[in-house]
Amino acid sequence: MTPGTMQGMIQDSMMTETDPQVAKSPEVALAVRNLNFYYGENHALHDISVDFPARRVTAMIGPSGCGKSTLLRVFNRMYDLYPGQRATGEVIFDGRNVLDRDLDLNILRARVGMVFQKPTPFPMSIYDNIAFGVRLHEKMNKADMDARVQDVLTRVALWNEVRDRLNAPASGLSGGQQQRLCIARSIATRPEVLLLDEPTSALDPISTARIEELLDELKEEFTIAIVTHNMQQAARCADQVAFFYMGRLIEVDSADRMFTNPKQQQTQDYITGRFG
Amino acid sequence: MSDTTVPTTGWKPNPRAARRRSADHVATAFGMVMAGILVLVLASILWTLLSRGLAGLSAAAIMKPMGPPGSSSGLANAIVGSLIQTFIALLMATPLGLGCGIYLSEYGAETNRFASCVRFVSDVLMSVPSILVGLFVYQVMVAPFGHFSALAGSVALAILAVPIIVRTTEDMLRLVPTSMREAGAALGATRWRVTLSLCLRSAKTGVLTGILLALARVSGETAPLLFTSLGNQNWSFSLNKPMASLPVTIYQYAGASYEDWVQLAWAGALLVTMGVLAINIAVRVSARRG
Repeated sequence: MTPGTMQGMIQDSMMTETDPQVAKSPEVALAVRNLNFYYGENHALHDISVDFPARRVTAMIGPSGCGKSTLLRVFNRMYDLYPGQRATGEVIFDGRNVLDRDLDLNILRARVGMVFQKPTPFPMSIYDNIAFGVRLHEKMNKADMDARVQDVLTRVALWNEVRDRLNAPASGLSGGQQQRLCIARSIATRPEVLLLDEPTSALDPISTARIEELLDELKEEFTIAIVTHNMQQAARCADQVAFFYMGRLIEVDSADRMFTNPKQQQTQDYITGRFG
Repeated sequence: MSDTTVPTTGWKPNPRAARRRSADHVATAFGMVMAGILVLVLASILWTLLSRGLAGLSAAAIMKPMGPPGSSSGLANAIVGSLIQTFIALLMATPLGLGCGIYLSEYGAETNRFASCVRFVSDVLMSVPSILVGLFVYQVMVAPFGHFSALAGSVALAILAVPIIVRTTEDMLRLVPTSMREAGAALGATRWRVTLSLCLRSAKTGVLTGILLALARVSGETAPLLFTSLGNQNWSFSLNKPMASLPVTIYQYAGASYEDWVQLAWAGALLVTMGVLAINIAVRVSARRG
């Protein structure tokens, strides 16, 4: 591209028109710039810079220990729970650097939700699992809360399965149901970004398929960042894929190009199963 | 797959295997005999208690207060005194023990000097002889005021109960998976909210078990009460005055030369044992439910 020239501008506009990924997502929800992360002395992420387009699914792939989960846990400052872990650089979200010391973490985490690898139902009823997060951030009456609970449970396709036992303990649900409940719990606080850390690795294929379908619907409203070890899952769900290796971002591209025509040899080797 | 084959001796008897087998039999037999002895000890204690205690355990023993020998007296004021003192002790020990346990588990990392100190002190306190605790409370709560009091007895019992509650609370909270804390934090909950609403809630059976264990432990304690609540022949509900208790009454009556007092001591011993047994069963039931 030759920016500044008429030809360059025409080229740009033509590019964006032919490339639906870029055309529909001019907004960037999360902009990572020169991010470095340390577990004590261990330098886990090296100079990461990458954009997460709004209302798109970005999948992060790479072998175990490559830093993809670490990056995810930077976005909601999860690492703050553990002394000795620190990050430098910038993660710009809605005009602010997420890494700022004086950022209100509770607000950040209401706006950036997270779903974990293992379903983590709270020791309370199905209803209260969802109401718990909502009550932390909003005051609302019973009717509004009921509506919110029904709304999010419907969206994760759980409402029909649990409508008769909302007051039963959440621990009685199956693994797949629990994970959908956790997603419902996360979206109930109305976040803008949803972080998913291998959300289906503990689930059977049917539950996995349901959650993947769900992601497709959720991305109309949320920016989704998902860590996965499953190449097919990344290909199925993601609009953009980022490949990490040994704490470095090797390549980031649209899912189509990433899986058909990667630029880097390492990416090629990984997605064809030659290592990792 | 490697192509090396494992050398085998076929079905030929192996003398080493035979030796291992007989050693196994000996070890199993040893364990069973020792376990049998333990059960025998407990069974004989219970048998003695039942045979001697049941004889003295009448309606009068439970309904009537203590009295002079030969007056068909009972243990009512000692029973009530014990209940009051242990209840107040638990009332004091539970918040303290819970607070310490929560602090140690949620805020006191291994690297935290103060937390290590608290943990060590609590563990030492757990093994301090109970008579020392009684003497200590005597020094600070009885001697300066010039009179024994039920409150001093409760404080002594509370001191014994706290470390048990601290340890079980910390242990039970540590069993709560990190993922639960992270999931709570990820929703934007503050640390105390996560601790209270999620961690403590999922550990509640274990924590409750700890409190019941502490109750079982202190309800039979005699030594800490000897110099604190002293004992009382009469009804008293004042925390500021000496109060009777079952263990102290057993201690006083068992060595007496009056037949009916000795009998009441056995009845009291049976009551204490049944109480502790009931608490232990409650612990088991609550642990199973959780």
